[in-house]
Amino acid sequence: MNRGGAVPQERLEILWYCIAAAGLVLGLRLAQMQLVQAAEWRLAAERNRSQMIHQNAPRGRIYDRNGVPVATNAPAFSLIFLPGKDRRRQDLKPLAEELARQLDRDPETLLESLEQAVREESAVRLAENLPTQTMFRLSELKTIYPGVDLIVEARRYYPFGRFASHLIGYMGKMGQKEWRERKPKGYRVDSRTGRLGLERIFEDELRGRDGGLRMEVDAQGRLKRVIDKIPFEAGSNVHLTIDSAVQRAADEGLRGTSTGRGGAVAIDPRNGDLLAMSSQPDFDPNAFLSTDPGEVQSTVVGLSEFNNAISGAYPPGSTFKPIVGLAALSEGRVKPDDSVFCPGHFELGGRTFLCWEHKGHKRVSWLMGLAQSCDVYFYTTGLKVGGAAIERFARDFGLGSLTKIPLKFEKGGHLFGPETRKKAGKSWYDGDTLNLAIGQGELTVTPLQMAIATGALANRGNVWRPRYIQKIVYADGRPDSVMNSELRQVVSAKKEAWDEVQHAMEVVVSSGTGGGARIPGLIVAGKTGTAQNPHGEDHAWFIVYAAKPGEPASIAIAVLVENGGHGGSTAAPVARKMILAHFGMEDPSAPRRPAAAAAPVPAPMPMPLPIPGRTR
Amino acid sequence: MTMARAVRVQSGLSGRVDWTYIAAVAGLIIAGSLAMLSAASTTSFYSSILQKHFIALTLGITLFTLTLAFNYQVFQDQSKFVYALAIVIVAATLILGKISRGQRSWIHLFGFSFQPAEMARTLVILALADFLDRRARKIGDLSTILVGLALCGPVMVLVLKQPDFSTTLTFVPAIFGMMFAAGADLFQLGAIFGFGGVAISVPLIYTICQVRYPLASATSLPGMILATSRMGWATLAAIGIFCAIGFLAWRVASWMRVQVKPAAFAAIPILLSAALLSGILVHRQLKGYQRNRFVSWIAPQSDVQGASYNVIQSQIALGSGGMWGKGLFSGTQSQLGFLPERHTDFVFANVGEEMGFWGTSLILGLYMVLLWRIVAAARQARDRYGYLVCAGLASTIAFQLVLNVGMCVGLMPVAGVPLPLVSYGGSSLLVTLWTLGIVANIYARRYALL
Repeated sequence: MNRGGAVPQERLEILWYCIAAAGLVLGLRLAQMQLVQAAEWRLAAERNRSQMIHQNAPRGRIYDRNGVPVATNAPAFSLIFLPGKDRRRQDLKPLAEELARQLDRDPETLLESLEQAVREESAVRLAENLPTQTMFRLSELKTIYPGVDLIVEARRYYPFGRFASHLIGYMGKMGQKEWRERKPKGYRVDSRTGRLGLERIFEDELRGRDGGLRMEVDAQGRLKRVIDKIPFEAGSNVHLTIDSAVQRAADEGLRGTSTGRGGAVAIDPRNGDLLAMSSQPDFDPNAFLSTDPGEVQSTVVGLSEFNNAISGAYPPGSTFKPIVGLAALSEGRVKPDDSVFCPGHFELGGRTFLCWEHKGHKRVSWLMGLAQSCDVYFYTTGLKVGGAAIERFARDFGLGSLTKIPLKFEKGGHLFGPETRKKAGKSWYDGDTLNLAIGQGELTVTPLQMAIATGALANRGNVWRPRYIQKIVYADGRPDSVMNSELRQVVSAKKEAWDEVQHAMEVVVSSGTGGGARIPGLIVAGKTGTAQNPHGEDHAWFIVYAAKPGEPASIAIAVLVENGGHGGSTAAPVARKMILAHFGMEDPSAPRRPAAAAAPVPAPMPMPLPIPGRTR
Repeated sequence: MTMARAVRVQSGLSGRVDWTYIAAVAGLIIAGSLAMLSAASTTSFYSSILQKHFIALTLGITLFTLTLAFNYQVFQDQSKFVYALAIVIVAATLILGKISRGQRSWIHLFGFSFQPAEMARTLVILALADFLDRRARKIGDLSTILVGLALCGPVMVLVLKQPDFSTTLTFVPAIFGMMFAAGADLFQLGAIFGFGGVAISVPLIYTICQVRYPLASATSLPGMILATSRMGWATLAAIGIFCAIGFLAWRVASWMRVQVKPAAFAAIPILLSAALLSGILVHRQLKGYQRNRFVSWIAPQSDVQGASYNVIQSQIALGSGGMWGKGLFSGTQSQLGFLPERHTDFVFANVGEEMGFWGTSLILGLYMVLLWRIVAAARQARDRYGYLVCAGLASTIAFQLVLNVGMCVGLMPVAGVPLPLVSYGGSSLLVTLWTLGIVANIYARRYALL
């Protein structure tokens, strides 16, 4: 034993101290992690095991004034993917290829979404609004590929499709910047928000609160059980003043015109309710929610967000003449019986101003002047009443300023006259008066402004700030928020002047240029306009209001067809359809079809079209 | 009469057995089995794991008792056979072994699979103890260290060939510990293991630079460090700097009138340069997965789904256990499969999650008791051989503990070293119990009488 002398025991002690020190370090580290930092690690473990499947709250519905839903929700199946924790990139590839085959999509983009989900450790929607047969096939995938699951949720649905598109708007995905701003409000990266119109303006009201299921998942992303269920809160419903029948007539009417471009607005002259607002070309908001990225892409590319009805400023042309007439008659500068000889042109200071009827209207007084829209009559009248008075009346009718309807991108048009010129430090010439008197020159108006002015012609001076929301019915039980129209200003004119103007506008429709809007059994009063346009074909205008005999007028309309040519032939039929829809009347001029043939299949048979003469 | 005598001898042995030590081993086996069985309960081959574990446990306890029964000095007497056995089993593994996970480290015999590397380690410790014991009079010679290393070298190289880097690594503290405890010259020991240490840390530093500063320019410090790995002017410059350091140290030492041989200062640049050059060679030989393990240790947040996933999940499991744990069979990290290798290498993290600080400190405490008793056995061993065997085993078990627990708590790289007695692994359990049986034997025979 102990062949080599004494054992160096002190070396053993050093070794033991080293071991004890290492044990102490490990013990301290364990205490730090398990006692001091335990809460943080527990949170991380909780994040690991639970995953949230969000369920979109059904968005608030939008109803028209009669309770017809114009934007609602439909149940839709969505394919979601919950990324597992220990998932590697190469595992995703077969899944992406399988899904691409089932969904008929590009495997590359699918793989990209899957990878993003893994990277951000959050669930993604791979496909939305799946058809039922795909759904059954996909539910089999669930058993093969962990993490893939199907959920039912509410998806926005617009039952009328292309209907008041610019007013209602559409739903779309957020950009990165917008998402960062909205994130604190509970939006998720794949949330859709209102992109235009009411969907955008009332986003907060319509949205509701998303709910969700907190699920326990394992490391592969397989669902184990539901830990927690958070119910969603539906959004608040919005009731519009829009009449879906009038709106549809306006949309379809404008779409059917020669150029298919323009705007139409209808209001109720009694209270300022907006009955219809159409802008063409429009779009189908359902297309943005399509699962086919190609369809969404083509819709986005062809999208015209420009709302002609409020953002398009056009010269009003002859539709401005009733206002000129009212100014002249009310100021007493012109008597209704005063007649003017129209040779087809008008000389002023060596310049010749033409009447649209180059042959001339011969001798015309107020009634025929307006009914035939004689330019020479209005040149003369304009000079008599003066530019300043016309400008004042136009301003009283709300032209040249914003109506302040709560919609984005409204334009105020441009009113010109002696006063405006003076402010700008420029002089006013008689030639300007002539241009103003026939609604040309620098004067531009929007269809909305003209509809409101037409309403004021119908109700004798009440210029409304229109409302388009009747009420918002809150989902959380708050009292309904009711919105009222506002009387913006009143045009003061003599009663006789109103009588004369309204009578003359009725004559325009009954026997003048506006015959295209004639409807037996109704009092229809209007004015056509063919606005000269330096950029191309004339714009076609028609303003009109209508009433049942013995009742006040209940609809005032302005229709504009861009480059539509003659107002009487292009714009007036659109307005006529809107009036018929408003009064719930069948089109007496249309051939009677059996009720069953509701499908819009135009019968290609020759039929007499009793469209009254192509006069204006 | 004979009966009574037999009983006395029996009680004589039992009176000499270290019951504290036995209790620590038993406690570790019980706590480890509980944790391991809970962690493995979600795996698809649970019943097979149960079966294998209890067979290995029964065999291991039998082996422990058997080893206790005969005098340990037989290992020293048969030292040549012990050493030959070590070489044979690791060589046989390389020839007969089945490849699993890229390693040829398992040998299949009579329907049992067996991992010989750990057994080879104990055999090497036994052989080295005998060698160091024989060299007792020349223990201070450099030849002792070099021949000792040459003795262990072949086995380590064969294990590294499997390739099993982490098991090879566990040989190093045992060898160092034994040479240190035997009384080898500290300067020589320091120079040789220092050289090895620097040579290993050089690729580590390169990897740190590559991972932490992937965009470092050539003029920045990490860029300049990386430049030395290309064996060019930068490498020469580094060697020049080492020479300057050695010269400066000599000047400072002589200025301070420190009495050290000038040769010691010449050793500094030689040692550093040689270590740098070997380190560069190792760096170039390093395999991708080994580099990944370094990376996941250095920068665990850099790729959560990749190599460092294990480290983070293990820390989450351990930390979330808190004081009392989530209860056996109810840890979310392990039962839902987030914790990888949860019944083998990361079983300690499962203990932390399901039994909390209470469980981890119990296991750590039992380990410290175990190591304390092994050191006590070394202290009281009847001969130098027993002393050296115990010192070597204490070093290697402590190193495994530090590596495994350090890995679970994020202080050490993912090394793939199991926690002896706690991690699942039949052959590991068997070999560990046999090894611990030797220690018990040495302690029980501390008096030269028996």
